[in-house]
Amino acid sequence: MTETANRVVITGLGVVSSMGLGVDAFLAGLRAGRNTARPITAFDTTGFDHANGCEITGFAARDWIRTLNPDELGRASQFAVAAARMAIDDASLPVERLRGSRSLVTIGTTDGESRDLDSLVETEVGQGPQAMDPVVARRVPAGRLSAAVAREFGLTDTEAVTIPTACSAGNYAIGYGFDAVRGGEVDFALAGGADALCRKTFTGFYRLGTIAPERCQPFDADRKGILTGEGAGVLLLESERSALARGARIYAVVLGYGLSCDADHPVAPNQSSVARCMRLALDNSGVKPEEVDLISAHGTGTKANDVTEAGAIHQVFGDRPPRTVSLKSMIGHSMGAASALASIGCALAITEGFVPPTINHERTDPEIDLDCVPNTAIDADLTVVQNNGLAFGGNNAVTIFGKYPERAA
Amino acid sequence: MTAMVEERVSRIKEIVCDILEIEPEEVTQTSLFKEDHNADSLRAIEILASLEKEFDVTIDQSELPRMVNIEGVYAVVAESAGWN
Repeated sequence: MTETANRVVITGLGVVSSMGLGVDAFLAGLRAGRNTARPITAFDTTGFDHANGCEITGFAARDWIRTLNPDELGRASQFAVAAARMAIDDASLPVERLRGSRSLVTIGTTDGESRDLDSLVETEVGQGPQAMDPVVARRVPAGRLSAAVAREFGLTDTEAVTIPTACSAGNYAIGYGFDAVRGGEVDFALAGGADALCRKTFTGFYRLGTIAPERCQPFDADRKGILTGEGAGVLLLESERSALARGARIYAVVLGYGLSCDADHPVAPNQSSVARCMRLALDNSGVKPEEVDLISAHGTGTKANDVTEAGAIHQVFGDRPPRTVSLKSMIGHSMGAASALASIGCALAITEGFVPPTINHERTDPEIDLDCVPNTAIDADLTVVQNNGLAFGGNNAVTIFGKYPERAA
Repeated sequence: MTAMVEERVSRIKEIVCDILEIEPEEVTQTSLFKEDHNADSLRAIEILASLEKEFDVTIDQSELPRMVNIEGVYAVVAESAGWN
């Protein structure tokens, strides 16, 4: 298969994030190093000592969802459909063409429509089960995140599959899309991740002592944890041949990816398994560690993640690891959307020639010892960029992106 | 032990036994939750959360390493609640 395998390129980007809607708002936010943290309004936060998050405001589902009734979709599904529409538009791909092609729709998620479960439980406790809204109950199954995209665009020659590998799920989806396009099984893949801010996840992380009081400070000596966020990122993938034939703009090449499972602790990350995942991704991409110009880290801002991830990076990249940044410093942890949005950030960094900063940074933890590009974006010519996604359950996924076209050898 | 202290210790014991799913007679003042009663880090947080609710205190998670047995838990809760 190697000789006939397709080169996989990114031709469309769809972004629903706390930076704003669409790729332009996202790019502007990354360049400016915008902090999007503010008090959570999604649910009543009475009783918590602190409750900041990176919420999306001003999202009008009806602007993006035209075939389906938005009320029949949960917030995460709405985000997924909106981001998919943006990606298709951004790629200048007529929907009729997509409909007539073999496609894959794959959306990763942590919580599915847990936000609806929150409200159903609230109703049940407050008013009894008979008061629960059947429309809301029907929105809950996580499979609907990807099925909704297929339904909205009338895609029937497609495989619509939701990937539930939590905080690295976006990268899993991109990896799956990469394989499907590379092997010629599909012509187009809509791959990404989506999640909606919810009480369950906030409370769970809060109870574990991993929610930062005010801001997210990855790699900082004084880091205090994550901020929960939300959103969706969807990438349109196709073969280089297809993109060239239809004259599409190419953001970047998907060089490859790697997956590993710790098969170990439910929440604590495992350094050697993370290192193994990065090595697998590099091997799959045909890239040597010294060729990587930038790492977009999982970088949640918890004590445990950052020190473990940095340790794994030093294990793989030796004494001089590439610059390593965390987009979560700006947009919080959008769970299933996180590694998809970070992949989009990587594609933009390559296309636009810059490194997004790690904001809220005062002093790098000496145990971490990485150049995290503190607080201010810098210009840089990037050829190969790596994006890490690590999840509870020990599911790790790393994607690698390359500049298109490459420099002449 | 005063009656008040005894009552508090017995309430703490109840909470711990309930969470670790063990019988009160299996637990001593110094038997270790993790080594002797198969507790893990999530159970430890569950114990911490229940104690906060029961005694209306806030316990910093940095205290968890001290909360390895009933004796340790009592000391931490006593400090947080100002029982001493």
